[in-house]
Amino acid sequence: MKRRIEVLMLACCLVAWLINPAMAADTIKIGFHAPLTGFAASDGKSATEGATLAVKQINAAGGVLGNPLELVVYDDEAKPAQAIPIANKLIGQDKVVVGISGSYSGATRSAAGIFQEAKIPYISAYGIHPDITRAGEYVFRTSFLGHIQGKAGAKLLGEMMGKKKVVTITLQNDFGQSLAAGFEEMAPTYGIAIVGAYQYSIKDRQFGAIVAKVKADNPEAIYASGYYFTAGPLVNQLRAAGVTCPIIGQEGYDSQKFIEIAGPAAEGVIITTSLDRDSEVPETADFIREFEAQAGFKADMVAASGHTAVMVAADAIRRAGSTDSDKVLAAMKTTDLKVSTGTIRFNALGEVMKAVQVQVVKDGNWHHYAVIDDPELLAPPEK
Amino acid sequence: MLIYELSLATVVCINIIQAIGLNLITGYCGQISLGHAAFYGIGAYTTALMAKAGFPGPVNLMAAMLLSGSVGAVVGLTSLRVREDFLAITTMGVGFLFLGIVRQQERFLGGELGISSIPSFGLGKPGFFGLTLILVILTAAFSLYLKKTWMGFAFEAVADDEDTARVLSVNVSAYKLVAFALGTAMAGLAGGLYCYFARFIVPDDFGFITSISVLSMVAVGGIGSVYGVILGTVLLTLMPDFFRFISDYKLFVYGALLFAVMRFAPEGLAGLPALVSAKVARTGGAP
Amino acid sequence: MLYVELLIQGLIYGCMYAMIAVGLTLVYGLLRILHVAHAGLFALGGYLGLLLTNATGSLLLSMPLAAGLVGLLGMVVYRLCYQPILDRPPYVALIASIGLFIAMEELFRLIFGPYGLTYTHAPLQQLFRFSGVTLRAVDLAIVVGSVSLLGSLAWLAKNTRTGIAWRATVDDPQMAGSFGISVLKVRYLNFFIGSALAGIGGIFISLLSNLVEPTMGGVPSYKALAIIVLGGLGNVGGTLIASLVLGVVEAFGTIFIGDYLDRDAIAFGFLILVLMIRPQGLFARS
Repeated sequence: MKRRIEVLMLACCLVAWLINPAMAADTIKIGFHAPLTGFAASDGKSATEGATLAVKQINAAGGVLGNPLELVVYDDEAKPAQAIPIANKLIGQDKVVVGISGSYSGATRSAAGIFQEAKIPYISAYGIHPDITRAGEYVFRTSFLGHIQGKAGAKLLGEMMGKKKVVTITLQNDFGQSLAAGFEEMAPTYGIAIVGAYQYSIKDRQFGAIVAKVKADNPEAIYASGYYFTAGPLVNQLRAAGVTCPIIGQEGYDSQKFIEIAGPAAEGVIITTSLDRDSEVPETADFIREFEAQAGFKADMVAASGHTAVMVAADAIRRAGSTDSDKVLAAMKTTDLKVSTGTIRFNALGEVMKAVQVQVVKDGNWHHYAVIDDPELLAPPEK
Repeated sequence: MLIYELSLATVVCINIIQAIGLNLITGYCGQISLGHAAFYGIGAYTTALMAKAGFPGPVNLMAAMLLSGSVGAVVGLTSLRVREDFLAITTMGVGFLFLGIVRQQERFLGGELGISSIPSFGLGKPGFFGLTLILVILTAAFSLYLKKTWMGFAFEAVADDEDTARVLSVNVSAYKLVAFALGTAMAGLAGGLYCYFARFIVPDDFGFITSISVLSMVAVGGIGSVYGVILGTVLLTLMPDFFRFISDYKLFVYGALLFAVMRFAPEGLAGLPALVSAKVARTGGAP
Repeated sequence: MLYVELLIQGLIYGCMYAMIAVGLTLVYGLLRILHVAHAGLFALGGYLGLLLTNATGSLLLSMPLAAGLVGLLGMVVYRLCYQPILDRPPYVALIASIGLFIAMEELFRLIFGPYGLTYTHAPLQQLFRFSGVTLRAVDLAIVVGSVSLLGSLAWLAKNTRTGIAWRATVDDPQMAGSFGISVLKVRYLNFFIGSALAGIGGIFISLLSNLVEPTMGGVPSYKALAIIVLGGLGNVGGTLIASLVLGVVEAFGTIFIGDYLDRDAIAFGFLILVLMIRPQGLFARS
């Protein structure tokens, strides 16, 4: 009995090891995991396209330390139970210099612990879970915490737009929950009264009940978290029911697909995000142009985040002058790099410090609305 | 250093314990459960909370088994009340109810953010794999032993035909409850082990898809057969990895294979030898 | 006013559930199979309806065409997938169906991409106002469409030879067979009608959210199962009422107990509550 199982185990390990393809020798490997199949496949695809573009751009410019970069991509289906073996594979077999997550929070937080234990630098491209960077000093994040973005949303609504009577519609997952927490924390400071708070699941596309209640609440503005595939139908249904007040979203909306789904209803929707479509900064403008040429569709926030994470990793290796993980770590800590999503600097915890871009939908496209550059408000936690 | 293989093998072991548990309920006793992941989750959350409170690992795993098994017995009570067809859906409902409650419990269970920074079990990675392997062997041995006892015969009688079993004065209700309690306790143990393996848990780990995957492992392996279930679990757990080279088609192939096994070998892998020999005998006999 | 609006929204949810659940309960009534892949056909309906509408510019033309195609595919699913394993225990068909559903979802993603598709000119977006309640044309179309479709189905089942044969077969296949009814034909008819209805349901949803995506069958795949159990497995009338009741419970539940339970948990909590009080479902078959 015991032997049988052991033999079985051994056989499986052997097969798994054998089918692993042989590797080229002289490339610098960056590990990347993202959900390429399953429910989160759309974000996985965007993130991977963004990361691939970054590698292409870097290699076209001569690579790093004279070697070309190689992106080792694995599909984690956004499942933590899959991300753990994948993280071990990237570390143990592929010997990557830096790991990057192009995945959701659950998978990212699980993998972060593995990278921390192995002392390999790891970057979360857009996973927003607050505990990701708390896995340890080897873990960084190049996107905003949900909490921070929620605070920025409160400032945008209460101070910049002067709306005081607000309804929140919260997506029921880690993203929505942290946004709501940040928004609610700062709401009193900006004199915002939350007159109604509703939640919906990531699987919902029909919001009739919530829309009816919001209409009855008659707010001055709506703060609604979501991704393009929930926010598109939500905004459409709100407008169709005759709700005309401003709708404020976040980076989850940040995709051309949102405008396509919501149609004319998308006009005037304002979001907090990290990609400025009208930017004249070459890093951002080039990214937006080249991404569309490579992928065949318009860049979104997730793609820019994947792109950013690779750029930060390559920059750290370049400045370290070595692929030694401790030197790369030391270099990464002192990052000060202009990329597609702004200027990246990390605090002591490995959280990014940058300005929040505010975008608005005008004539069927995302456009610049404002920038929130308030270091005190946007300061991420230090531990 | 084979850290990758080690972590994969640990996942396989955890899934085997979960599948052997479900096999007790579905395979031995004939009660289809589509909510097994809820008990897996109860085990994981129990372990996580106790570990964070500072209790030692073995105690936490015991508590996980106990709590999952007790809740399992209560859910088993519904199996006495509703018609057999309804049970699958009722257990599925239990799964969704569990998830719905956990998602909204921000204060105690971490809500959507889950529970992170769970202390380690303290054996190191190879040691922890050794522990799960020993537990797999124990659950498998217990399961095989159970089949040979009077209780095993009673289970089979209930699974075959409840009414006949009742006529033979088998206490159908009691055996159903026992099957539920034992099977869900094993799920709880698996959940506790997963909690120590990942050291971070979120509600989505214990959703409907997890329930479905475990049932698939049991069915593909061959309902009722412990060896078959182990084989099915190993195959289905490692499948995403085997198919990494066809990355984009991975999940498609998984679905298609699941379907194909049920369509062409409804007894699962355990029934395959019999199926093949029957085919050979048939074609061999004809000119 | 709010309560009226919530009730209306609940009934719209309910009508959509009904379109999906009726096919499922028909299949269960006849074959005792939990046909999860039904939700895949529902999604296919959404895709076909949207693609045909975008290509032809006419929803009125695309809808019956898409429904017909989905209905035919439903028959193929029965022939290739279920017929050979009918004599097996129920879990075999259930797992096979789940496998088929996963494969279908992935196939949609592989063919049409992960981002989902939208209408080039979303139809039925006109607004109607009735003393304070605003509804879109698509809301009305869903209610009118599903009521008339399901109503005429009920009428046909009562008043035509085929319908009577079909009801007889559902009640007692053996008896029906011995009276000369072709049980096989009834099953094909069953899959055709059930799948076509689900396909139309898929088109309705795609119109409501202006989006079809690979995972759109995910929620119906399990929630429709809860509805047919509530309705007393295999009971068409019961399923219709259960759909509407669940729609209304969800509409009110999301607003008033949404802080404690999510939409799925509300639905299944309600199901378990009902089953504890009435173990045979709201409307049991005699």
